Amino acid sequence: MASDTGPSSPDDSFSSPIGNTLSSPDNATARAGGRRRRQPGGSSTPSSFAATPPAHRSRFAASSETTPTPSRTQRRTSGGANGRPFVASTPSSTDDGPPSSECGDGYETAEQMYVWGTNISVQDVNAAIVRFLRNFMEGPLQADSIEEGKYMRELDRVFEIEREWIDIDAQDIYNYDQDLYSKMVRYPLEVLAIFEIVLMDMASTRNPLFEKHIQARIFNLRTSTCMRNLNPSDIEKMVSLKGMIIRCSSVIPEIREAVFRCLICGYYSDPVRVERGRISEPKRCMKEECATKNSMTLVHNRCSFADKQIVRLQETPDEIPEGGTPHTVSLLMHDKLVDAGKPGDRVEVTGIYRAMSVRVAPTQRTVKSLFKTYIDCLHIKKTNKSRMQADDPMEVDNGSNRSEDITFDEQMVEKLKDLSKKPDIYDRLTRSLAPNIWELEDVKKGLLCQLFGGNALKLASGATFRGDMNILLVGDPGTSKSQLLQYIHKLSPRGIYTSGRGSSAVGLTAYVTKDPETGETVLESGALVLSDKGICCIDEFDKMSDSARSMLHEVMEQQTVSIAKAGIIASLNARTSVLACANPSGSRYNPRLSVIDNIHLPPTLLSRFDLIYLILDKPDEQMDRRLAKHIVALHFEDTESVQQDVLDLPTLTAYVSYARKHIHPQLSDEAAEELTRGYVEMRRRGNFPGSSKKVITATPRQIESLIRLSEALARIRFSEWVEKQDVMEAFRLLEVAMQQSATDHSTGTIDMDLITTGVSASERMRRDNLAAATHNVIMEKMQLGGPSMRLIELLEELNKQSSLGEVHLSDLRNAVATLTTEGFVAVHGDTVKRV
Amino acid sequence: MVGLPYDCLANPLGAVRFTFEKAIASGADPAALNGKDWGAGDLFRDVLFDQGALSQVPVVNAKNIGHVQPNTLVRFRGMIQDMLGNEFYAGAYKDGSLWRTNKYRDVSQFPMGSSPDMHIWERHLLYCIQVPGLNPWADTSSGTVVARPVGQTSQHGEKRRRADNEDIDQMDIETSEDGVQRSSGVKKLREDGHAYQNLRLPEPVAETTGFGACTMPREEGDSLSCLIKVYDSSDSELKLNDVFEFVGVLTFDSDYQVDNDEFLDSFSEDMLASLPLNKVPRLHCLVHRKLTAHDFLHSTPLELKPHLVKEARETLLSHLTAILGNDGLAAHLVLLHLLSRVHARIDNFAVGKLSVNLTCFNKESVSIFGDHLTLAIKDLLPFSLIVPLTVDHLNAASLAPKKDYERNRLVSGLMQLAEGTHLTIDETQLEVGTLNSVGVDNARLLKYLSEYQKVEYDFKYYKMEVAADFRLLILSEGKSNIFPADLVIPFRPSSVSSGRVVAAEALEAWRWYLATVRSLSHSIDSDMQKVVENDLVAARQANRNLSSQDFSRLLTMGRLMSLSFGETSLSLEHWHMVKELERLRWERFA
Repeated sequence: MASDTGPSSPDDSFSSPIGNTLSSPDNATARAGGRRRRQPGGSSTPSSFAATPPAHRSRFAASSETTPTPSRTQRRTSGGANGRPFVASTPSSTDDGPPSSECGDGYETAEQMYVWGTNISVQDVNAAIVRFLRNFMEGPLQADSIEEGKYMRELDRVFEIEREWIDIDAQDIYNYDQDLYSKMVRYPLEVLAIFEIVLMDMASTRNPLFEKHIQARIFNLRTSTCMRNLNPSDIEKMVSLKGMIIRCSSVIPEIREAVFRCLICGYYSDPVRVERGRISEPKRCMKEECATKNSMTLVHNRCSFADKQIVRLQETPDEIPEGGTPHTVSLLMHDKLVDAGKPGDRVEVTGIYRAMSVRVAPTQRTVKSLFKTYIDCLHIKKTNKSRMQADDPMEVDNGSNRSEDITFDEQMVEKLKDLSKKPDIYDRLTRSLAPNIWELEDVKKGLLCQLFGGNALKLASGATFRGDMNILLVGDPGTSKSQLLQYIHKLSPRGIYTSGRGSSAVGLTAYVTKDPETGETVLESGALVLSDKGICCIDEFDKMSDSARSMLHEVMEQQTVSIAKAGIIASLNARTSVLACANPSGSRYNPRLSVIDNIHLPPTLLSRFDLIYLILDKPDEQMDRRLAKHIVALHFEDTESVQQDVLDLPTLTAYVSYARKHIHPQLSDEAAEELTRGYVEMRRRGNFPGSSKKVITATPRQIESLIRLSEALARIRFSEWVEKQDVMEAFRLLEVAMQQSATDHSTGTIDMDLITTGVSASERMRRDNLAAATHNVIMEKMQLGGPSMRLIELLEELNKQSSLGEVHLSDLRNAVATLTTEGFVAVHGDTVKRV
Repeated sequence: MVGLPYDCLANPLGAVRFTFEKAIASGADPAALNGKDWGAGDLFRDVLFDQGALSQVPVVNAKNIGHVQPNTLVRFRGMIQDMLGNEFYAGAYKDGSLWRTNKYRDVSQFPMGSSPDMHIWERHLLYCIQVPGLNPWADTSSGTVVARPVGQTSQHGEKRRRADNEDIDQMDIETSEDGVQRSSGVKKLREDGHAYQNLRLPEPVAETTGFGACTMPREEGDSLSCLIKVYDSSDSELKLNDVFEFVGVLTFDSDYQVDNDEFLDSFSEDMLASLPLNKVPRLHCLVHRKLTAHDFLHSTPLELKPHLVKEARETLLSHLTAILGNDGLAAHLVLLHLLSRVHARIDNFAVGKLSVNLTCFNKESVSIFGDHLTLAIKDLLPFSLIVPLTVDHLNAASLAPKKDYERNRLVSGLMQLAEGTHLTIDETQLEVGTLNSVGVDNARLLKYLSEYQKVEYDFKYYKMEVAADFRLLILSEGKSNIFPADLVIPFRPSSVSSGRVVAAEALEAWRWYLATVRSLSHSIDSDMQKVVENDLVAARQANRNLSSQDFSRLLTMGRLMSLSFGETSLSLEHWHMVKELERLRWERFA
């Protein structure tokens, strides 16, 4: 505020103290210089603002009130001659009322233009703030722009909705004026006070009718302090902290102005303001005619109160070092900030770190040498950064709320980018994934692709293509499938881990309940909906009930959960990747049977998995040796040497999050060509020369999977383009997975029918032959309407015909069942009758 | 006058002040002293360790706390149960023209309300309790170092007290220019001194028999807990559940009043409100050191000599065999178990743990063999606990520590124990019954503990895993499913257990043996590594059911076996012994 704008303020009380402040610069410089010596740079002593801008309500006033004894600022002018505690000069509640005698007391030493104990000129700061508010513009600066600054528009909005505060991004201040930023962080009380004077001033010039007080709420500081590292040097500085709210006090009404009434004559006093945490009751009636002593009584309903709340913030779990317990810090919230967060919220708080002394007893003036610390809260922002950044691939293009997201700090981004440039990043990440599980390289690569995910696509027609990959692990017991699942669960955003045996259909998707109190129907989300944009890990997939499993069909392809029940018809998003693992139905995988037969999963569901891995415990000496080596190393070598070249979990998480958020690769022409070529090649493999049977080796679902895989692979490299190499690797991954799960063991070729129907082409042919043979035998041996024949006898007959080889009873049953459906025979228990 | 051990013990604050003034006199900037030692710590370290005055410092416990002079140097041995964060205090302030410090004090000695120059310093608060499951022999305060009995030295103490005051008087005269202040300061001190003579501590529990005797630790009031204020030390060296010895200045405030200021109340460090100064003593820590098993031994540690180790091993093994009714195999495995320790963690896997499940117990045999075994373990290890596992206990007990946000304290659970604590779990008493939700949680916690050696602390909004290193010995009828132990062995006694009396020297030798051998490091040479690998591969080729857990167990046993002979690398002989033990063990299942 320049001195000429001061008097133009509608409220004269503003201008008078400021004028005062500026009146004797020489004197002030001298004093400031003198004091600076006693306050070495960065010292812990709280600095006070001598100039006391009075137009400064609630926030700081309250905090200074909490310092009823002079202890917080136990400093006097040099020599301590007058003994007057300096606290008088902290911005107290002079508000917009006329300067009280208290003020005068304060100005005795306040006739200066420098912030107490510093070389910060009030005028300079004032001018800098005015410049910032008027001129700051987002985006590249255009010299001839006639547009108003960002904050001027903000201010207009404040007028419109009659808000009492204006949010100011500290990053903007930094970009505009680094000096102002550093002053604000170091001397927040003083700078914010000036800030608010400027705001009031602007408000009065722009909108003279606007009477509310405007606070400046600063947020988004450049650095955020770790709660653990708060130390005495941070006192009276602006800090930004992340943490979790663990406790909120009830809302405390704090008196701002008190009105007293004389019991004798009924005279109402003028509102009395809070000063230093106290309201001084008038000793005698102010009315001259009355002037009775000790007759004044407080009139509650004419007093004004402000909300206050004390909130306790605790360190987030990831900031706690090994072997420590979480630290906590108290936050003081005022007015609109009250109830802004509730226990359990993760928040980022910007505020002023303050300390107040503890008195031994309220009546005593003696002060214990202890200080209580708290943060005077300016701004609170809810964050949710507990896990890998949950990003919405569907909403990438609209990008409206980008700025709300947590930004990675520059160092980290640099580090991640450096990492991504390493030629072996793919292998390195693979190694870092569950490093204590050896082998299973390809499975880990598949899981890595799942973590990174492909791009979701939404066509203009409304059709969507999911970007999430589903993976199924089938394997022998004790092959660390569950451990892999647990690991992914820990790493993934919003991962939900359930076990198939304990999950019901509604538990997985969503269910409708009646609220016991109101009788209203309520929709409650299940695991899959809860893991929207995350990975839902389902252990023991095979043990899941059929009804539960059937719910997954929709989820895995359409990525929604539809509910039509009890008057609620809803479609919930469940854009989740499913990672399931299953045990073979026998205790061990029977390689002679197909995947379907081994795990008893419906082919319709199975085909929705992009990758199906068989983790088999094959008696392989090479593997055993590696296992032995691994375990010996685990026990006898230093853990460092074992784990070298491996990214730690936070880095890995950050890497994945960054890639998911910022990298959206597109297919290059070359890659697209390769994709088509490879797909045609795969399809062609089904046509054996000289064979009439048609084996399907690839389906359109595969090509979608391939695209997702190659996109994920490009993301791993932080590349915006899917290259040919990615596509080739995707083919390799798919083939590895298919070779394990979709290989027809009788012919040794890949046959997608195995997955899609559970029966391979060769098997189907064999069955047809058997049915025909059975038909022939029955035609031969049995009369129409004649005596029935036992299945065993039929089997013997069939086996006599050596052309089919050994026929099993179960095969025969299948054949007979086929014939029954044709209406050729009827089966009663074990006997067959021709009809 | 300072510098003598006598002064440091009886008037530590005098020594602190002396060094502070010296530091200031030599031009140190008071503002820069936050978190730094100006020489006080060095002085005390020198006196205590180099000059051996440590043994003269009394160890405080629940019994003698009432008799200890406040503002003197004491020792406290305890486990860090909770960390209460930082506390800011007026570290240095100017009294007239002199710099004073409040370091190592609760209340400033001189009125400082008017002091214009002041620096705020910080200190860390730790809440320490007596080590849970501390066995009587390891309790130093009841052992060799007894606190000076009051009756005997009361006169002497009185005299010394007066002498102290005179010292302070003198110092005040020397240092203080303000006469009024001096006299008030002295008066205050005097008063303090006398007030504390007959300090009443709430229920000083005379009937306590020793903490190891009770299986359930931490009944309130039973043991002494202490609020330790640590200066100049980083968080990283003091960890939750570590066992430390703190040497420092003990303070009380008998006329401590709870501040009723409404604002302060709602704000107040709620945790301190629950720790009133007249119940929980404060110890301003000058010197602290982490305690290892060695520090609990009575005799001075011996050198690691092969014949000593061998002898101790043989006698201990025969002792265990006798206790276990001549079951040599079980005795061997129990010995290995006692030596086990988590020496590395790779991801979730705790390498080096070896929990043992002795099966085939019934209620009768537990009362004979089980009791003898637990008694023997109690005599051997500094911390051990018995957990009788019953449905009721599972349903009622709070095993996991829990954060109480109302008081802002970590409420200790039964499973908040010091590293290396031995747990004997008696599962034979477990009957058929229904577990409620608490019981299910507890059972899950125990299983998790036994699998990963980690305890989940309940922070309401999330759980925090805290690494633990407990040795678990489970006694059960059949294989325990609550505790999946590394080693399951059917117990086959052939004679009645003999609970024979053991000579004190032998016990001491065994304790030394266990403490020393357990902490040795261990390695494997490349040749031996090949042999082991080949053996493992061959075993797996022969039996596909062998899993990585089986291999891990074999390697752990091999490691412990050679450690038990005091050797630091695996030899072929010991490897074969382990394989033989495993073979014998498998035979019992056949």
